[in-house]
Amino acid sequence: MNNGNHKIEEFFCRNMEQIKNPIIKSFLANAKNLYLVEKAILYPTDCNMKMVDETFQSHYIKVQKIKYVSNLIYFYSLDFDKKRRRLHDRFLLIVDDGLTRTGIARNDERIEEGLLDTVEDEQLFQSLQNLTDKQLQILEMIYVKDCSIKTIAETLQTTPQNISNLHRKALKKLHQMLKKEED
Amino acid sequence: MERENNYNEESLLFIENFSPKIKQCLHQTSYQEREDLEQEIKLKIIEKLATQEFINTPSFWDFFT
Repeated sequence: MNNGNHKIEEFFCRNMEQIKNPIIKSFLANAKNLYLVEKAILYPTDCNMKMVDETFQSHYIKVQKIKYVSNLIYFYSLDFDKKRRRLHDRFLLIVDDGLTRTGIARNDERIEEGLLDTVEDEQLFQSLQNLTDKQLQILEMIYVKDCSIKTIAETLQTTPQNISNLHRKALKKLHQMLKKEED
Repeated sequence: MERENNYNEESLLFIENFSPKIKQCLHQTSYQEREDLEQEIKLKIIEKLATQEFINTPSFWDFFT
């Protein structure tokens, strides 16, 4: 038996590099597999060798399958979303489509009108008239003409920060006025 | 028949063990699509385990020459 232990030890020492191979390592981690291998080293008969081989191969296939399924899940979910996005971009639902042609046409019509012409609410109309000219102009450009803050700043020859401030003040004033009237 | 049963059991085991990973991968897609994706993944696992051939397994003793 001592001799046998020595033999096994020698075998493992000789194959240190291979033992470190993850697949071999995980195979030998199982006590049952280790026992089979030791038996095959001590008594290297065809039967013993074959038994080790068979268990090893089933272990190998199992690892392969796990790896395969893991990759499958990951890449399949990526592909799935890619496909979904492609379809989504290609076949837009009408509601999802931001600007339809009729929408643009209507905007074109409105550009001709000022902010005060588009307002239908009487209270809002009165409140708007209380704002300064500049505030009114900015609100009109933002909400009727759909300009960006930057373009407005350029046309009025001031800074975007200033426009943003005036915009906020105008909205605050409107809000206060409307609230007062409600009370 | 027995082979088929084995496949089914195996697929079930895989799906069960991989469910955390599947859940994690659902974040790849938008909220509305997640249930669909989950089902598709599970279907794919079952399908692939039944059809995919895992061959070319090396012999244990090939490593020790």
